[in-house]
Amino acid sequence: MSERRLETLRGFYQNYVKPSYEAAHKAKEEGKLVAWVASTFPVEILLAMDIVPVWPENYASLCAARRVSVPLCELAERRGFSKDLCSYPRCVLGSLFDGENLPEGGIPRPDILVASTCACDTHLKWFQVASRIFRKPLLLLDVPYNVESANAQNLPDHYIQHYVSQLEDLISLLEEHSGIRLDEGKLRKTLELSNKASELWLKIQDYRKKVPAPMGAREAFSAVYFILCIPGTQEAVDFYERLCGELEQMVKQGLGVVENEKYRLVWDNLPLWFDLQMFPYLRSLGAVVVAETFSHVWTGSLDPSKPYESLARKHLSNMSNCTIEGRINLIVGLVRDFRANGVILPTNWGCRMMTIGETVVKEKVQEMTGVSSLILDVDSTDWRNYDEYRVKTKLETYLKTLE
Amino acid sequence: MEILEQFRTLISAENKFIKGWKHQKKPVLGYACSYTPEEIIYAGGILPIRVLGSLEPPKLADVYLPVNVCSFAKCCLNEALKGRYHLLDGHVVSNSCDNQNKVYDLWRHRTAIDKTYFINTPHSTTENAIKFFHEELERFKEWLTKEFSVEISEENLAETVQAFNENRRLLRRVYELRKRNPPSLSGSEALEIVLSSMMIPKDEHSKLLRALLKEIESREDLPKKGVRLLVSGSVMGNSELLKLVESVGGSVVADDLCTGSRYFWNLVKESGDSMMAIAERYLCKIPCPFMYSSEERFNHVKEMVKLFDVEGVLIFSLKSCDVHSFDAPLLAEELRENESLPVSCLELEHSLSGIGQLKTRIEAFIEMLEE
Repeated sequence: MSERRLETLRGFYQNYVKPSYEAAHKAKEEGKLVAWVASTFPVEILLAMDIVPVWPENYASLCAARRVSVPLCELAERRGFSKDLCSYPRCVLGSLFDGENLPEGGIPRPDILVASTCACDTHLKWFQVASRIFRKPLLLLDVPYNVESANAQNLPDHYIQHYVSQLEDLISLLEEHSGIRLDEGKLRKTLELSNKASELWLKIQDYRKKVPAPMGAREAFSAVYFILCIPGTQEAVDFYERLCGELEQMVKQGLGVVENEKYRLVWDNLPLWFDLQMFPYLRSLGAVVVAETFSHVWTGSLDPSKPYESLARKHLSNMSNCTIEGRINLIVGLVRDFRANGVILPTNWGCRMMTIGETVVKEKVQEMTGVSSLILDVDSTDWRNYDEYRVKTKLETYLKTLE
Repeated sequence: MEILEQFRTLISAENKFIKGWKHQKKPVLGYACSYTPEEIIYAGGILPIRVLGSLEPPKLADVYLPVNVCSFAKCCLNEALKGRYHLLDGHVVSNSCDNQNKVYDLWRHRTAIDKTYFINTPHSTTENAIKFFHEELERFKEWLTKEFSVEISEENLAETVQAFNENRRLLRRVYELRKRNPPSLSGSEALEIVLSSMMIPKDEHSKLLRALLKEIESREDLPKKGVRLLVSGSVMGNSELLKLVESVGGSVVADDLCTGSRYFWNLVKESGDSMMAIAERYLCKIPCPFMYSSEERFNHVKEMVKLFDVEGVLIFSLKSCDVHSFDAPLLAEELRENESLPVSCLELEHSLSGIGQLKTRIEAFIEMLEE
């Protein structure tokens, strides 16, 4: 079965990812403030202050895609960091201990680190270690765990107050360190752009509800970069507009990313960054990933007149900050809305948040939608225990059960 | 010493206090983390007991959980699945770490315990964080009063705080006995004493501690002299590992454990509003590594090293315990470089599977120190 390639995504790495690292290195040379950011931190604040965000998680995935992540993980392990820790920090910390022949000249060094406890402990601990290594301050947003899996409108007031008051303190500290005052007008504009990018990203997902789906996971895991890393920028909006245009055309012509679409899958968690060929392989079997949970946790409408409160609502209700009900509801919603007939639940060795409870997710999704799931024990970045043949066999066998 | 046997019995299935408490139709509440403010529970006439798992390989929990999960959290769930916690009227979890948070989902979905509560413990100690934690504790108090139809008055709280502080002071005095050389109590005995304090009403436990402090002065079977060690790590729910360390020439004289010094080192302020004082004490105690600052814990270790004349440090990380595993190399480096102390970092399963290999490494470390 042949597959179609999307024009907008052609040369994505060369056109967008690589230049972003070049720009960050250049900004560092020019003396601009560079911040390490952990995902689920409201990056709009940094963007509005002209602080240059650098994403260590993105760097780890990049190293995996370039097949250099394992030697870097090993460097961290030699320094005493356990093999059972998340492979993202092992990879990035390892890169700090090497320094030679690193992709994109290594990850730009931070002047400051900002993290949020929204997604996991690992963000906090990893950034603590880095903060010690670089002797640079770590500013933390300590986010209450959304224990009722409440949506953005139904969160307890004291959660929101706690988030907002911390964000205010954190901005003051950022202002102190950068010497830049956060301009309210600029923040409003950044939030408006973020909203626009968010709407467009959702529109892109809407196109994927069509049968056949015009876009799969291979493209989504690239394109999500904008909404994840630089949502409040014109660049994000422009890119998503172009992608929307292309998808609209495809849908009009009834074209799918795969010619003969047989299976529509939901993909949970992360991809295998070191083996993105997994997705073309699935397509060769007639299977398209029509939705990823990862594509549905970064959107959310922000109210520019209440910037801090709406950022609080958005992040507190992020599925990664919720109990398992949050994840079950998201997957069930995706299965229904995207007319999926299969769900892949890849675990991630060092990730407790996404690994613990897979059996409950599988059971509940089956109960609520009648769709079965496949749990794959893998790691996103560390391929040492990866058996491609075994994983492919599992996938093939699973797809057969969906017929 | 006979009295040491009494402490040991309290952490076994033979604990008569819990049965007696239940017999009086009074509720028992299990809790998962040392950040759970026991005073609030006890002030309502409810007995808080720490859920500690067992040494059994967690076969039932393995059905629902993948391999890469904190083996302590897994062992606790395993006990619940086996029905060993049928005497619990509820289970309280704190926002401590990913492992606990996520295994909490399993407690709700897979075990027979229907009353569960989650306290949103912040990870920092700022004024905002204390205010937030105070609000969380007020809500917890409200839940307790509703679910168990109990009253929790300011008066009861103040009294409970006093009883708990008294127990903490006595435990400190017990720890002092280990400054001696040889120590009057071994590390495994001290751990059993601290663990047992989590299993009965504090005033009962304090009675036992007072008796111990008297009797110990005439103890004849003193622990052997050995290499003076500090043990750092997370939860140690039984004394098997320390017994092993002490069987190969180690003398565990101090600790930085969640179920050791970190449990009782800090007192609650006895003046002013009790709920606020409790919030401050729990949030600002010697921190678990899930908190924003690791420095304070590292400083605690360094202080203990000096107070107890420690010659070497064993850092134990439970496999898949992220927060301790990230800290382990940093703490080791700090102790080696700034304190010139020998350190050994070891990973283990809570069920102590593969203990043979561990023993060899501990033995080698102690031999090196003896030279």
